[in-house]
Amino acid sequence: MNESLLEILCCPLDKHDLELEDAEYDDDEVVAGDLVCTECGERYPIDDGIPNLLPPDMREETPA
Amino acid sequence: MGLEDRRGLERDVYQPAEDSALLAETAAERIDDDALVLEVGTGSGYVASRIAEETDARVIASDLNPHAVREARSEGVETVRADLVSPFADGAFDAVAFNPPYLPTDPDNEWDDWMERALSGGEDGRAVIDPFLATVGRVLAPDGVVYLLVSSLTGVDEVVERAGKEGFSAVAVADESFPFETLTVLELLR
Repeated sequence: MNESLLEILCCPLDKHDLELEDAEYDDDEVVAGDLVCTECGERYPIDDGIPNLLPPDMREETPA
Repeated sequence: MGLEDRRGLERDVYQPAEDSALLAETAAERIDDDALVLEVGTGSGYVASRIAEETDARVIASDLNPHAVREARSEGVETVRADLVSPFADGAFDAVAFNPPYLPTDPDNEWDDWMERALSGGEDGRAVIDPFLATVGRVLAPDGVVYLLVSSLTGVDEVVERAGKEGFSAVAVADESFPFETLTVLELLR
């Protein structure tokens, strides 16, 4: 993901800002790390460069 | 036409069809070059990449389906795995485009996989459209606009009425008829 996406994203639960932690870069692109809510502390993983911003209760929901 | 007939060769990700083409063409014609655009439920990424190619807008695409966000990203689209608009900032987008799952489905015939999620709108066809209409206003900029694809199978009047309850006025800006349904693109404004 492009780091500028942070300005467009928020915590899906409480809509507060997110901070990028443990970022790994490939050139300018963030390929791994966590987006962490500055309010509730919930962590959202970046998988293969794609932020997974599903609320935690939907994250494990994987139909076949 | 049953859900099973709509399933493409690809097992996990909805592939572009007539509805995707109509939405892409209509949105691309109407979106400004400096816009920030969200496509909800991008699937293969087709609509998002067409808008990005045909305008100078920056297009972000979201999907619930992990296979879809990977496929869209491999097409060069900026993707986020998300439930509708829930992780996007207030007032962020000049335009939001959505080709929702809209086919009315008998609950006894639902099969729980990603392709069903991409197609089925529940018993009335509006199980995903209604929560989208209830939440999309938050992420729209003050003059922001929504391009929503609706099928006659889902009921355009019902969607327009629901949009009205959420504070939107709706105009049909494109439609196309097929033997089994008419597809309409609604432009929603506040």
